[in-house]
Amino acid sequence: MGSRRGIGIVSESVLTILLLMVAGLLIIDITLQVACCLHSRQTSQVVTGQVIISGSGSTFVYPQMKEWTSKFSQKHPGVSVLYNPVGSGSGQTQFLKERVVDFACSDPPLSEEQYQEFRGRVLQMPIIIGAVAVVYKIPGYTGPLNLTGEVLALIYRGDIAYWDDPSIRSLNPAASLPHAEIKVLHRSDSSGTTQVFTYFLHKTAPNIWPEALVGKTLEWPIDATGRGLGGKGNEGVAGYFKQLDSAIAYLELGYAVENNFSIAAIMNREGKFVLPDKATMQAAIKGALEAGLLPDSPLDDWSNALDAIVYAPGDMSYPIVSFTFMITWTEYPSVKTDALKAFIKYINTEGQEEIIEGYSPIPVELRQINLKSLNIIRGAGG
Amino acid sequence: MRKSRSDKLLFYSLLPFAIIIIILFILLFSIIGLEAIPALKALGVKNLLGSRWAPSESSAQPVSYGLLPALIGTLVSSTIAVILALPLTISAVLAIEEYAPRRLREVLGSTIELMAGIPTIVYGLWGMEVLGPFLHEHVYKGLYGLLGFVPLFSCRPLTGYNIATAGVLLSIMIFPYMVAISRDAYRAIPFTYREAALAIGANRYEYARIMLGMIKPGLIAAALLGFGRAAGETVAVALVVGNNPSLSSCILRPGTTISALIANQFANASLYPYMLNVLYFGGLVLLIIGMIANAIAVVLLSGVRKRLG
Repeated sequence: MGSRRGIGIVSESVLTILLLMVAGLLIIDITLQVACCLHSRQTSQVVTGQVIISGSGSTFVYPQMKEWTSKFSQKHPGVSVLYNPVGSGSGQTQFLKERVVDFACSDPPLSEEQYQEFRGRVLQMPIIIGAVAVVYKIPGYTGPLNLTGEVLALIYRGDIAYWDDPSIRSLNPAASLPHAEIKVLHRSDSSGTTQVFTYFLHKTAPNIWPEALVGKTLEWPIDATGRGLGGKGNEGVAGYFKQLDSAIAYLELGYAVENNFSIAAIMNREGKFVLPDKATMQAAIKGALEAGLLPDSPLDDWSNALDAIVYAPGDMSYPIVSFTFMITWTEYPSVKTDALKAFIKYINTEGQEEIIEGYSPIPVELRQINLKSLNIIRGAGG
Repeated sequence: MRKSRSDKLLFYSLLPFAIIIIILFILLFSIIGLEAIPALKALGVKNLLGSRWAPSESSAQPVSYGLLPALIGTLVSSTIAVILALPLTISAVLAIEEYAPRRLREVLGSTIELMAGIPTIVYGLWGMEVLGPFLHEHVYKGLYGLLGFVPLFSCRPLTGYNIATAGVLLSIMIFPYMVAISRDAYRAIPFTYREAALAIGANRYEYARIMLGMIKPGLIAAALLGFGRAAGETVAVALVVGNNPSLSSCILRPGTTISALIANQFANASLYPYMLNVLYFGGLVLLIIGMIANAIAVVLLSGVRKRLG
């Protein structure tokens, strides 16, 4: 009798488990459905007469985008622009593949393959200029410092280990540089900042810094020497940097300025040493434009833009600069078209006068290229 | 024993909630496993357990996703943490349970419990701002000077951010857990045993030794659970470990751990061929390490309970 009861319990529990699994699957399914609907509600077009434009992407542009969206909403009470800083890569996916946002912001432009896939249907507009600052801390020395891409590549490869290395001294004849070991900081997470910085190293010193070492994350040669240190995010790098007495690092300009770190002047294509600021960042873009290196329509392929603006010609050009792109469709539901156009117009006119610390407005010539999109974007359907 | 109808009803109505946990665990395990398989297939075990971490965005270039430095970093930093935390734990348990006056005992006990509740990011920031620079200035330089011939300390410490600092920080973080587990085991010692030890004339020291001998499996279990926690800790470690995925025998060099590597690389991993799968594989390894440590600990703890009734 005992065993029969035992079997009964076993079969009952098996049944229960099966039932539970079915119930579990149902719950998961319902949750997914709810999540999906919440999601689509977020991007729905009209909520009580208000037009909502949603975007996502670059975290780099987020502080500026916050400024823009709030100022824009004050002037256009009927429109709200929501921006979600999920990262450039995710922003592109949400916009192109999942279609859950109306526009994306991305630090890298669309790759050539992606551009070909969506050619004629997407617009790309560089809306802001960013710069990577090289910051330094030298024991007993607080003066200015000149560096070249080649010397930076040698430092980041581990070949230059001390501040009084002849190659650094020859760039800074007036400075009294100590025999102190350089601790070399880099980003440990994958980031567009690293990509721009390593791209610059490769472009100026291809023999020292091969193409295999260009990317958002890479195998840092300096790490093999034990003098390399990786910080997570700009905050992580800045956090380490503050604690060290003899170090070099690259950071988004905003972080370097905010923390009052010493910023190195970098030699540009014309052999001039230039500090990053609004004027020199704009000069780099102008230099690239004048040399005909940038496309002249939002419909064009911008995939080579980084190559055009890094180490750009021009006496005043700061060599380590980057863009953030706004990516939109050429066709929108009619309800949204005017609102989106107004936002694009705002960003490329008044918005460029409201740029916060650490970024630079784009030159007037580029604004005019971006404004061409107002004639391209059209409404479709209801 | 025969269950009544209402007992059965209660049992079956509670069962779902217990089983949900099991289902969740199985789902978690299988999803991590499924995500890890493409990495194993495409790159092979040799690549994944190699010593180079050299990612590349283009699929044309050969990539190395060697997790060995991170794996060793995880094991070494967690071992350091346990080695440092165990004597502290034993001392704390004895001090609280045997020596401290009641008032002090309460204060000590609740302080340690409070330590367990501090968010890990706070430990991490403190580690970065205070602990790292302090250890570099006052400990590592001396260690290198005195014991530089030992491979573990054979590299000149350039900063306070390395495997050793991660280990020290982790030891502080797992200490409260280890104390909690050990105190439970200690309190489970029946009073008759204590009386017996004192009755045969044991002095305080001998008495403490006998008591500790009785909870030895409990202490080992505490150490193993602490190890599991240390191996899985992410944010705090990522802030102090130096995030340098290269292989070295020296603990004064910046290193990385699997958790720190995942935290660092996850955001943009989908842009790199197979990197996401490799990170899942790392997670799988971590899960298995944690499961082994936990399983041994659970067996040992149930042994203590049986022995002490």
